[in-house]
Amino acid sequence: MQRGLNWPYKSEINEMEEMDADVLVLGGGIAGCMAAIEAAKKGKKVIVVEKAAVKRSGAGGSGSDHWEMAATNPCSNLSPEELVEAMMDDNDGFNNAISHYIECREGWDRLVDIEKMGGKIRDIDEEFVGAEFRDEKTKLMFAYDYKNRVTLRIWGTTFKPAMEKEMKRLGVVVVNHVAVTSLLTEEGRNGSRCIGATGINGRTGKFHVFSGKAVVMAMSRPARIWLFSAGYPGLCEFRPMSCIGNGHAMGWRIGAEFNMMEKSVKAQFSASGKSYPPYSAGNNHNTWYAASIIDAEGKEIPYADRDGKKLENIMDRYYPSEGQKFFMMGGNIEKAKYTYEGPETIAYGELKNKGYKLPFYADLTTLPDHERNVIWGMMVAEEGKTKIPVHQYYAKQGFDSAKHVIQCYGNGWTSASFLPQERQLFGLPGGFMNDWKLESNIPGLFVAGDALFASNCFGHAAATGGYAGRHAAEYADKNNLEKPCEDQIKIEKERVFAPVYSDLDSGITWKELNQAIAKVMQNYCGEVKEETLLKTGLSILKEYETKIVSKTVAANPHELVRLLEVIDILTVSQIIIEASIHRKNNCEKLEFIRSDSLPGEYEPFIVIKKDGDNVITRKVDLNYAGDVKENYEAHNGAYIKEMRH
Amino acid sequence: MSRSFTLRHVEPSKPITFDPKKCIGCNRCVNVCPIDILLPSASNGETPVVAYPDECWYCGCCVMECPAEAIILGHPLMNQVRWVEKKSLMKEGDLK
Ligand SMILES: Cc1cc2nc3c(=O)[nH]c(=O)nc-3n(C[C@H](O)[C@H](O)[C@H](O)COP(=O)(O)OP(=O)(O)OC[C@H]3O[C@@H](n4cnc5c(N)ncnc54)[C@H](O)[C@@H]3O)c2cc1C
Ligand code: SF4
Ligand code: SF4
Repeated sequence: MQRGLNWPYKSEINEMEEMDADVLVLGGGIAGCMAAIEAAKKGKKVIVVEKAAVKRSGAGGSGSDHWEMAATNPCSNLSPEELVEAMMDDNDGFNNAISHYIECREGWDRLVDIEKMGGKIRDIDEEFVGAEFRDEKTKLMFAYDYKNRVTLRIWGTTFKPAMEKEMKRLGVVVVNHVAVTSLLTEEGRNGSRCIGATGINGRTGKFHVFSGKAVVMAMSRPARIWLFSAGYPGLCEFRPMSCIGNGHAMGWRIGAEFNMMEKSVKAQFSASGKSYPPYSAGNNHNTWYAASIIDAEGKEIPYADRDGKKLENIMDRYYPSEGQKFFMMGGNIEKAKYTYEGPETIAYGELKNKGYKLPFYADLTTLPDHERNVIWGMMVAEEGKTKIPVHQYYAKQGFDSAKHVIQCYGNGWTSASFLPQERQLFGLPGGFMNDWKLESNIPGLFVAGDALFASNCFGHAAATGGYAGRHAAEYADKNNLEKPCEDQIKIEKERVFAPVYSDLDSGITWKELNQAIAKVMQNYCGEVKEETLLKTGLSILKEYETKIVSKTVAANPHELVRLLEVIDILTVSQIIIEASIHRKNNCEKLEFIRSDSLPGEYEPFIVIKKDGDNVITRKVDLNYAGDVKENYEAHNGAYIKEMRH
Repeated sequence: MSRSFTLRHVEPSKPITFDPKKCIGCNRCVNVCPIDILLPSASNGETPVVAYPDECWYCGCCVMECPAEAIILGHPLMNQVRWVEKKSLMKEGDLK
């Protein structure tokens, strides 16, 4: 923005507002809204604090086209138990059995709830009557594996506005445009019960103090650790800028435990100039499954099953191969094991030798009408960011899916190529450690959605959100409101507002700091890790914290929120390095490589937390969830009974 | 021809354009943007200000919210995807 323009909002920088609730929900995305709705249905007084505005905030606010792993939907051929077993096995155990069991077991229940709120989950307009992916009786539509029917096609752009309305109906107090900055604990002590949070208004600068009998953390996951572009900060990563791991940083500061934070993957999406907008370019995965792919001369690239057998008919792409019970997802994005590997186009290396010419294109023209129209018109349109700038605008420019083909960039769905040190927390990254109530090690702090370790997806966020809201409501029944510690509030207030009083002309901006952190992380915590390198990187980050943060500056509350995000990115980067130092061996499923690996000793989960200046770790069995069905039922008797009626 | 010069900040892209003829100045777009990059205009009824264009997520929520179809959102030039008529790729013999 031009220097010297007036800020349009009134300054409330010296004002403070206190509010309290039975259940305090931090982050109003998919998980947070669902948590609030479930707790409010239990008669609880609920507050949701959201950095943006809940109507469209978060990774799922602008839309979504798939609801994954709805194992209990009426058409499903798979049980929650066999799906979770597959998810665990596919990741050699480095996955969250508890949260994914909740996803498989309760995801469908939450989808039905969302339908009652006004979200569209069935083809009630009869656009796809007769399609092989449509169940004629229920009008539900499925994706990927048409035999097993666990992933639903949904009209996700309708969901968040419906959830917002439902919260209003239930009397949930929604506080929009307030960014949570810290968690409050009993007597201000590290590691003790979580009793509230602080926040600042990103428009007026007003300071907020929230108290809750129980608190639900639903602020998604970190980003912009390795990837940053000062020119296009909004396009650095896949998720929206607001989701950068504030929750992880504030959890770490009060002593919450984290798991799998050493995991990162080579970047796949959205590092500004490097990739094309998600789902806007040609590919044959996810939203675009199972588009045909053709080469530069229009020659079609064959699909094959997991045994390399060429699939002659288009419809074969939607079924498991001979002797296979089911396959997971569409296209082998996550490099699934043989047992779960679905149909895929032949690998690029092989195609080059056979004379196929680049660039490739996604070709919907030869698909059966229903398959073409569901990809271009429903999936591309409902998916995250495609309704306006892709589906609507391509059409305005004359794109016709029955005539035109869209170019693929890079190799497959990534639509870009990245360097090995350009890393991301993508897929199933690390996050908050949880138990069977989705409670963290901090009493009263429940966690839901992408904030949990090894978590991902819309349905997962809704299911874990509802579940955390329910258990938080139970906790609130048994615990009182505690008065926040005044010292803790005072220290936080000083920390948060200091940059507003720094000298604008000489101070360091959030962009300069973010760029510097990303460079440190690429240099010292890139693809191949090494103890001395990691420790050097850590010391530089600590120096930033002690010497640079005090020099940072913000001209207005919006800039301040951006700056506080980057200060949290600095904290999260340190968690990642600490976790990397404490895992000594290579681990394939964590995509974790050390040049000084000490093979031999087996390493399960290494869970870490901060206690004062020390970092404390403990080893946790990969099977710590135990028998998922048994343990789920032991913790959810009342819910199971309620759902039977 | 003489031309006086101005000093300005050069933006890497221009995600949002408002049509002042259609905009009714309701600020619904301002309040729904998940990144909060738009600011209400100083005078009532005028189009909002794109205060932080570089932070745009290109999600289209503002467009979906606008009651007057007064917003145009465009991907930056580098992100504009290429498509062609399939016919143009194929050699004549392949065309039916
Ligand atoms: C483009 C795109 C397409 C996707 N498509 C699909 C799909 O088709 N199917 C699927 O299953 N998944 C999809 N996903 C993933 C899915 O949207 C997410 O997994 C899901 O939204 C996670 O829910 P959540 O509630 O944990 O996080 P979010 O929905 O991101 O919500 C987190 C909320 O916390 C708020 N917040 C963050 N920090 C603070 C703070 N300090 N103070 C207050 N509030 C804060 C954020 O503003 C946000 O509203 C997609 C994601 C993207 C980005
Ligand atoms: S496209 Fe999205 S991020 Fe950009 S201004 Fe509109 S609502 Fe905001
Ligand atoms: S929502 Fe549309 S009409 Fe309202 S202020 Fe924004 S551009 Fe103008």
